[in-house]
Amino acid sequence: MIEQLRKIYPSLLVHTNENGNLDTSYKWYKTAANAIIGIQKAELADKDQALLAAFLVPYDIKFPPMTEDEQRWKKAIDQAEGPADSAFPVLTPYRFIYFSMNKNQITPVFFHEALQELFEKPVPILWENESEGIIIEEGSLSEDYPSYEQMIDILMSDLYVKITFFVGPYQKGFDSIRAYYHSVIRDAKKVFAYSDKTVITYIDAVPYLLIDQADPALRQALGKNVLQEFIDDEDTLKMLETFVQSNLNISETAKELHLHRNSLQYRLDRFFEKTGIDVRQFHQAMPVYLAMLAKK
Amino acid sequence: MAGLNLVNIRKEYDKGVVSVQDFNLEIRDKEFLVLVGPSGCGKSTTLRMIAGLEDITDGDLYIGEKRVNDVSPKDRDIAMVFQNYALYPHMNVYDNMAFSLKLRKMKKDEIKKRVDNAARILNLEEYLYRKPKALSGGQRQRVALGRAIVRDAEVFLMDEPLSNLDAKLRVQMRAEIQKLHQRLQTTTVYVTHDQTEAMTMATRLVVMKAGFIQQVGTPKEVYDLPDNMFVASFIGSPAMNFFFGKLEGNYFVMGDQKILVPQGRVQTLRDQGFEGKEVVLGVRPEDIHDEPVFLDVSPETKFRAKIEVAELMGAEIILYSQVAGQDFVARVDSRFNVETGQSLDLAFDMSKAHFFDKSTELRIK
Repeated sequence: MIEQLRKIYPSLLVHTNENGNLDTSYKWYKTAANAIIGIQKAELADKDQALLAAFLVPYDIKFPPMTEDEQRWKKAIDQAEGPADSAFPVLTPYRFIYFSMNKNQITPVFFHEALQELFEKPVPILWENESEGIIIEEGSLSEDYPSYEQMIDILMSDLYVKITFFVGPYQKGFDSIRAYYHSVIRDAKKVFAYSDKTVITYIDAVPYLLIDQADPALRQALGKNVLQEFIDDEDTLKMLETFVQSNLNISETAKELHLHRNSLQYRLDRFFEKTGIDVRQFHQAMPVYLAMLAKK
Repeated sequence: MAGLNLVNIRKEYDKGVVSVQDFNLEIRDKEFLVLVGPSGCGKSTTLRMIAGLEDITDGDLYIGEKRVNDVSPKDRDIAMVFQNYALYPHMNVYDNMAFSLKLRKMKKDEIKKRVDNAARILNLEEYLYRKPKALSGGQRQRVALGRAIVRDAEVFLMDEPLSNLDAKLRVQMRAEIQKLHQRLQTTTVYVTHDQTEAMTMATRLVVMKAGFIQQVGTPKEVYDLPDNMFVASFIGSPAMNFFFGKLEGNYFVMGDQKILVPQGRVQTLRDQGFEGKEVVLGVRPEDIHDEPVFLDVSPETKFRAKIEVAELMGAEIILYSQVAGQDFVARVDSRFNVETGQSLDLAFDMSKAHFFDKSTELRIK
């Protein structure tokens, strides 16, 4: 069929992964055999387009065509139950990285092309919609390659788009891959409601996820009982949050907040005097941190 | 090239967290404007609103004459450089600089012209075909700058571009960026938390705290005439010393120490009702002297102090001590040897000192 069409439309191209992005000056279609073909728009009158759409599926070039690897992963995830195809050749642990971008600012094709350049080998990307999806990372990132924080800066400067990543935990095997896929997306959406960080790992997210499970009465009680009279004292809460995020390190916190060490010590002492909680101790700092999250 | 105008800009995140408010600023064409302040002051949020990476909750943003609040970031004619100067690891320097232009389907000969030009400006010509792995940190940062230069944009936005470099390289790159600005004359908005970077690079700087502008001015204006105690302490290293005391007659009194205040200053303080009231005296470390000549002519601003720590920095010594139970830091010339534990006479240069209202923390002008 492709050859017959080519006789009518000499510009016809068959897309392969080797020839990169889909050219926007072409109109793209998917055949019954899943081949992606393109015909130069200049060659197509409205009548031609209507005719071609009757027996081919117009192919949305916002999304890059799925690679074989991506198709395999998608198939494994879409299987309702049980392990994926035994031919699936993944020997190393893998993890899913959720990404989200501002809507309507770049096409998935651009993002896909730029992102692939940041990894050692092509990574499968499964799109949820035009601004969200999952990157599948097999094995761990080599030190020679950028971290997810660095990737954000590179992509922001090239693509002018704000990106966030939620890095899921490593998995082995496929028994619960479907549940894992959906939990990564669900957890990502929860944690970005609590934090303004651009990269959050699953481990970082655990406190957020725990608090998110708590019922409103418990959340309210945590704030009231732990933070006590400081519950609405934004300066103290900011100080405590920074102190926890700085590994309970006085110097680092003082530097971060542009406070003198002595002023910080004084404020921590004051919090201790008023609440009886010594946040210099990890086991006392943790409930304070959870209470602050509960308040958010 | 273009200037920018930010009119009543405000940023409020979900759940009511306000990050920037009441931000009014005109950034002149070709200016190198630095936004400086501690973590969480709203400086990066402001930059990202200019870039279009964050929505503006209220207010108007103009680039040149055009209101750009609703213009997509890619159409704002800006180029950005961020803290992480990581590059595409598979690509050589040329391709790293060319990549964003290729994504935009620019013609090959135009891409080559722009990359070659950026490489010449940044002295990267001999490294064009090297991979990032084979470059030093400074060279990689220059490539990151090159990636912005090739855009040929109206405005450069730089968010802490030097903070991941080591101290020596940071100083070197500071000069490189200044030279670059002199050469390209592109309007630049530069964000840093480092007051030294702000002071040395800015045409004008904007000091921010908790989402509000504290002061806008040239580095010299902000250093010499800080509007409030926050600016006075944030700009300058070591920070300005603050002494708490009262104005009594012609003297600033703290404990049993009396310091003569110049007549003009006394009059200003009196006129504004500070006679007999608590005020804050601000003295920069370099305005505390130990030279015999200065001590001779300043008998009434002189005091004796025991030096708790003396740090020899080369040309100068940083002294940590107390007067009337209040900590201070002095920066003195190392020609006069001072050692830890020594007691010595010091004197304030009151002609350069400032007074602040203790309750509002504003400088008494």
